[in-house]
Amino acid sequence: MYDVIIIGAGISGATIARELSRYDLKTIILDKEYDVATEATMANSAIIHSGHDPLPGTLKAKFNILGNRMYKQMSTELDIPFMECGGMVLATNKEEHILIEELYARGIENGLQSHELQMLNREDILLLEPNLSDHVISGLNLPTTAVTFPWEAAIANIENAMDNGVELALENKVVKIEKNDYFTVTTNKDVYKGRIVINATGIFGSDVANLISKATFETKARRGEYYVLDKDVRVANRVLYPAPSEKGKGVIITPQYHGNTLLGPTSEFVDFEDVSKTTASGLEYIKTNSQKLVKNIPFHKIVRSFAGGRATSSNGDFIIEESDVKGFINVCGIESPGLTAAPAIAVYVVGEIVGNILKLIKKEDFSPLRKPVVRTFELSNDELNELFKEDKRYSKMICRCEKVTEGEIVDSINRNCGARSIVGVKNRSRAGSGRCQGGFCQSEVINILARELNIDKQQVVYSKTGSEILIGKTKGEK
Amino acid sequence: MKMYDVIIIGGGSAGLAAALEINKFRKSKILLLERDAELGGILLQCIHNGFGLKVFKEELTGPEYAERFIDELHEKGIEYKLNSMVIKLHPDKRVEYANIEEGFVTIQAKAVILTMGCYERSAGAIGLPGNRPSGVMTAGAAQKYLNIDGYLVGKNVFILGSGDIGLIMARRMILEGANVLGVAEILPFSGGLKRNIVQCLDDYDIPLYLSHTVTEIKGESKISSVVISKVKDFVPIPGTEIEFEVDALLLSVGLIPENGLSEACGIDMDSRTKGPIVNESYQTNIDGIFACGNVLHVHDLVDFVTEESRRAGQAVVKYLENQLEKSDNHIEMISKDGVSYIVPQQVNVNNINDKLELFLRVQKEYRDVNLVVRSNDTIIKTIRKKHMAPAEMEQIKLKVEDFDSVIGSISISVEERQ
Ligand SMILES: Cc1cc2nc3c(=O)[nH]c(=O)nc-3n(C[C@H](O)[C@H](O)[C@H](O)COP(=O)(O)OP(=O)(O)OC[C@H]3O[C@@H](n4cnc5c(N)ncnc54)[C@H](O)[C@@H]3O)c2cc1C
Ligand SMILES: Cc1cc2nc3c(=O)[nH]c(=O)nc-3n(C[C@H](O)[C@H](O)[C@H](O)COP(=O)(O)OP(=O)(O)OC[C@H]3O[C@@H](n4cnc5c(N)ncnc54)[C@H](O)[C@@H]3O)c2cc1C
Repeated sequence: MYDVIIIGAGISGATIARELSRYDLKTIILDKEYDVATEATMANSAIIHSGHDPLPGTLKAKFNILGNRMYKQMSTELDIPFMECGGMVLATNKEEHILIEELYARGIENGLQSHELQMLNREDILLLEPNLSDHVISGLNLPTTAVTFPWEAAIANIENAMDNGVELALENKVVKIEKNDYFTVTTNKDVYKGRIVINATGIFGSDVANLISKATFETKARRGEYYVLDKDVRVANRVLYPAPSEKGKGVIITPQYHGNTLLGPTSEFVDFEDVSKTTASGLEYIKTNSQKLVKNIPFHKIVRSFAGGRATSSNGDFIIEESDVKGFINVCGIESPGLTAAPAIAVYVVGEIVGNILKLIKKEDFSPLRKPVVRTFELSNDELNELFKEDKRYSKMICRCEKVTEGEIVDSINRNCGARSIVGVKNRSRAGSGRCQGGFCQSEVINILARELNIDKQQVVYSKTGSEILIGKTKGEK
Repeated sequence: MKMYDVIIIGGGSAGLAAALEINKFRKSKILLLERDAELGGILLQCIHNGFGLKVFKEELTGPEYAERFIDELHEKGIEYKLNSMVIKLHPDKRVEYANIEEGFVTIQAKAVILTMGCYERSAGAIGLPGNRPSGVMTAGAAQKYLNIDGYLVGKNVFILGSGDIGLIMARRMILEGANVLGVAEILPFSGGLKRNIVQCLDDYDIPLYLSHTVTEIKGESKISSVVISKVKDFVPIPGTEIEFEVDALLLSVGLIPENGLSEACGIDMDSRTKGPIVNESYQTNIDGIFACGNVLHVHDLVDFVTEESRRAGQAVVKYLENQLEKSDNHIEMISKDGVSYIVPQQVNVNNINDKLELFLRVQKEYRDVNLVVRSNDTIIKTIRKKHMAPAEMEQIKLKVEDFDSVIGSISISVEERQ
């Protein structure tokens, strides 16, 4: 019998799991996929928003501001990449200038301090952003805007939660939920019993809520598509947002921790099965609209495109509450700024909702720290040679585009919540995320996975069950 | 810090030829650094015939061609390191590399030659629409799995792009018992050599869909089908879709010179070749750093790589002997009508021995035209061409005398015959 069953291993489920692991509770996370963080948490802008945008009084506004203020500490404890680059909303005409003045007022109303936002004119902005387009006339500066590495944030939270006793069961799709004295949660594989169930299933939020009682809300999928530029080009120094218009937030230019630049997203309601499909029209829209804010975007440096689905709820706000079934907690409709808000939502859900149902007793042996991750590109040669003395595999380069060593790849497999697929290795170590997209190193990654997981090379999967790359031996081989 | 006369980055056909050429003319302390476990570069996975017709006057496989150079390298005792990846190049010609025996090491050279080859444009770079299942990979990656590791990646295969690697893989997959359902090419002409179209597609009845591209990838964990459509001005025409059930889609959509190191070092790039801008001596804008082979511009024939790298090697010898004239006063090579690029991009006539060999590519297919070399309005040379295509590199030789009347720049264009 579990105290808490969390359904969904995105950033929401991950931060809640870690928060629960501080207490003497038996917790499990269930996810339908082969790895954690494969849906919205895998495909977003990675921005830790300042809190200038959500409407005052909403849960989005409240948890955005709180979450932003918690990110640095969380990132330090869990060794999650965190780049305090700042952000800016840019206006290209009079109407947009008025809009960003409204955003300024909204930010103040949401609780931002005056040093956390300033209006700037074109000359001031040019000093900070030399690549600015000729159209920009003014901007709202948001120095507390930052950039994280979203799936690593989720992986790190789950790893730390597991180090502190939480269990994880992947490839478990919840298909039935019943309640008597306790909950019985049935998946395609197993049956789990628990006192509390937390529904953090992203776009599937209302589907899963409906398994136990008629949900008061509906979640729909709103797709966003992106282009990724190679890491050797710097288009912008900070997050550049266009002024919001009727048509949505427009194309944001986001520098990433590892040096890449994201261009996107688009915004379009789609069927669930289409959320991660890119389209020719969406990608074309990004190319056209990204040039509004900056010039000289090197489109020949595109290394990848991707898409993800926001879980937009029918009431327009986050839904974070115990449902009419006691002990069934919905954490749904967590669209943007959900990544930012996650650590604050977790503290609220555990402290204010779980804590009202179960008695929370602090664990004495809880450790908030995750074992640091080696990232070769962050280290000097002297530091690398220190590592090399301990383990030679930290000088064997596997991924030449991103400079990832065998040591890093092996480590990414052998941790709690470790990689079990080629994409899993890529998401944790970055091997294969560069300009050749694994063209050179994928076969080497297959060898390492097979060795570390003690399986045959033909059993190594790309992303999930059934996605093996090597399907048979050639005629000459046995 | 260890000192070398020359450090060569990359042990493919370019690096090998340059090393041997320097050694032939000057006793030098040379170090060849190769990332892979073996020397030879991309040749090692090209187990088909068709290498060496020009250089050795016989048809060899890729590994056989490489072996001749590797054997000679051993014979001459030229130093090389395997499994050693260069991670940084400095403008003062310090080179940082890493390997499992020595860790992270910095060494100094008087001259550096860039011979890192190229990589294949990926599915990500061309923004293929649809899902991201497994089974979509570059033709070169599939070739490596097949020819080096001994594994098949698909039984029903479609190929996007008609680059040479794709064509060669089409035949190779058939020989392994797979079905190759077709090759789609977005352009109205093929990106590969004529001989490869004939020997790899026509001979096996594999259809080539010109002016077609992939408009959707279907499948959850593994690719289940691809949809292709006819295009007009690169835009898919609705209603022309054809769907193929496949378990692999191989991409042969272009090679890109591997210049991560060069760009980080501050070397000026040519946006058309995606390689460094070089002069007649294959020297980049940074004194003492040279480039040749696929890192400079994509070659379709290894023989050209070998010849170019030998010339680069000879220039490095001159550089080490202080015989290369330094001057900013050079002639610019300008690509005019119909020409997409020229290498080298700059020429200092005083450094040419007797003749200069230029490589260029044209923008589309031409029949019965002239290639005209001009300086301002004076025609220097006219070359009659029966047939030219973007896939086939053209070579032009200019004699020192040809430069007598040249001021400032030389242009080359494709022109109708009068
Ligand atoms: C295009 C886009 C851009 C965004 N940009 C930003 C940004 O810049 N800043 C920001 O703060 N936020 C941003 N967001 C929002 C942020 O990404 C999300 O709020 C956050 O990732 C949501 O996390 P989650 O855990 O709630 O959902 P998800 O990450 O979607 O996780 C839900 C999990 O539930 C699992 N699941 C679903 N159904 C079941 C079932 N029946 N059984 C078992 N498991 C199940 C899924 O497999 C999945 O792993 C963006 C979102 C998108 C889509
Ligand atoms: C699939 C294919 C088929 C071909 N078929 C034919 C044919 O039939 N006939 C023909 O004549 N030509 C053919 N060619 C063309 C010819 O073989 C190539 O153009 C030529 O081999 C390229 O040589 P290179 O040395 O420039 O590059 P490569 O052979 O690619 O060598 C580059 C080397 O540099 C190394 N390297 C890269 N970066 C680093 C680093 N940072 N540190 C250390 N080492 C590094 C690489 O590992 C590699 O070994 C073919 C090419 C390909 C790709």
